[in-house]
Amino acid sequence: MSTVEAGNSNGFLMDIWINLKRWLIKTTRNPFVVVGSLVQPVIFLVLFTEIFGGAVGGALSQALGPDISYVTYLTPAIIVQSALVAAAGSGIGLVDDMENGMFEKVLVSPINRAAMFLGKSLSEVVRIVVQTFIILGLGYVLLWFDTGGEIGTYIETGIVGALGIVLVAIVFAIWFTAFSNIVALVTRDQESTIIGANLLQFPLLFVSSAFLPVDILPNWVQTVATFNPITYGVDAARALMLGRDVQTVIDVTAFGGVWNTLIPSFAVLIALDIALGAIAVRYLNRASSSSAQ
Amino acid sequence: MNAIEATGVELTYSDGTEAVRGIDLAIPEGEFFGFLGPNGAGKTTAIKTFTTLLYPTAGTVTVNGFDVVDDAQSVRETIGYMAQETSVDEELTARENIKFACEAYGVPRGERADRIDELLDLVDLADVADKEATEFSGGMKKRLDVATALVHEPPLVFLDEPTTGLDPKARIRLWEYFREINEQGTTVFLTTQYLEEADELCDRLSVIQDGKIVATDAPDTLKSEVGGDVLDITIDDASEERRAHAAEVARESGLFADGTVEITDDGISVASEHARSRGTDLLLALRDADFTVTGFDVRSPTLDDVFLAITGEPAEEDDEPAEGTRESAAPEAAQ
Repeated sequence: MSTVEAGNSNGFLMDIWINLKRWLIKTTRNPFVVVGSLVQPVIFLVLFTEIFGGAVGGALSQALGPDISYVTYLTPAIIVQSALVAAAGSGIGLVDDMENGMFEKVLVSPINRAAMFLGKSLSEVVRIVVQTFIILGLGYVLLWFDTGGEIGTYIETGIVGALGIVLVAIVFAIWFTAFSNIVALVTRDQESTIIGANLLQFPLLFVSSAFLPVDILPNWVQTVATFNPITYGVDAARALMLGRDVQTVIDVTAFGGVWNTLIPSFAVLIALDIALGAIAVRYLNRASSSSAQ
Repeated sequence: MNAIEATGVELTYSDGTEAVRGIDLAIPEGEFFGFLGPNGAGKTTAIKTFTTLLYPTAGTVTVNGFDVVDDAQSVRETIGYMAQETSVDEELTARENIKFACEAYGVPRGERADRIDELLDLVDLADVADKEATEFSGGMKKRLDVATALVHEPPLVFLDEPTTGLDPKARIRLWEYFREINEQGTTVFLTTQYLEEADELCDRLSVIQDGKIVATDAPDTLKSEVGGDVLDITIDDASEERRAHAAEVARESGLFADGTVEITDDGISVASEHARSRGTDLLLALRDADFTVTGFDVRSPTLDDVFLAITGEPAEEDDEPAEGTRESAAPEAAQ
């Protein structure tokens, strides 16, 4: 009598790496993704600064002082917006996988379910990191044109601040990546996933601190912005960019300077990441191992 | 040890569809076993409960000695599974697809390169190994899918309607691979709608209908239940009365005492070991009884005939939506 030996599966980290690698290959092979994630932020940054820059100037001086350029004010928002777009698309890949059978193929393999989600999310993170550096560079170029070459300081908190902004983009993207994947797992439909993620994207952006100081917006928008995760992502990135406490939706003064913005923002975003990440993994587990009842 | 042991397996979807209604099976190691049945019979649902994609509503399944519910991970590590719909990542090359499968199943790093080349050879894709699968034909993708299911040299492979939708040439090619894998000692569990395929490959097979096994035996034994070949005859005036009369003529001729005579939509159908040799005699008998025969066809028994012989009713297509569709992988996920 022979027996079959089990136990030839990978560790958790290896499972993440396997999935990450597959998604990265797919990302680089998809010209739409590459172009989309680079061209879109460029368009938004240029259009917004050129069209609204002049008009917003007054409000900006009023809220933050006369020395703030709309370019430096807006760049963090575009970084967060681009992270949002990349995250929103995450579920589409998952639905793709369901449609071409790869989802089931991975489920029937010994790959860990949480690693499946983490690998996929990390591929979005890689994309967001690259994208963030590019937007930071582009903001610098725009500012150079705006100021006629006399920039002074671009990122007030320096190199550490720039890396901090990348970290903000990552922490910000995870909850929305999870959200997009949850929509994908629930609807199992390409269009629903695209609509589900994009439907929220624009309204959320406008009723946040992304494009204008919250103080000059209508009262109801201020209220919504307080409960809008985008506000916390944008505020954190902006605090690092401008080197000061920019958060007005909640008033924290215990930590001093930028930390008054950073600590509450990270707290909110990390809590969201954990909550939505857990739900996404739970759905994956249900999709793979459950009675049909 | 049996490769698969199933006792009283039932599976009811959340919408109340009873896709599998009590299956008992014991498949010894090394066997080439088949599930034969029409669309909606519960074949895919059954295979998904054997491969941990669905948990049985009732009953127990042991695969390679591991319980599919309590030790799903061990089951996953020791089986290969090929879904009904071709499952390859079209944005990856053939080589990358196989490599991903090697990694997923923890094939030791040092063995991967050789294993990949071996499998590319087995499925005749070595010359297009570095092309993206999106350029492949349906048959090529299917072959690539086969290769990815075999990377870890599993002792047991599940093939869910592996040749549905393929052209005859591609189908025969795949049969050769399956036979080869089986000859090397792999237990193969296959589902199919084609009697011909089950006949060609399987040591034993179960006929499955409405979620239940209605017969399990060697293909030849099952086919003999049909009683030989089938002779379909169409007659000129196919009124109910005339057709009944024609059937009577056939029965009373005594030519097919071993077989059955059925009335069809446009004539009669005779299943008998003598369907070929005595066909002409039947035509003459019908002419003597003033029938004008407008068509006749002698053929080997089909799945329909086996069903007719075993269950007494034709194999009708069910409208069970869950069966064989991708959504059935996790019907409860949408709750």
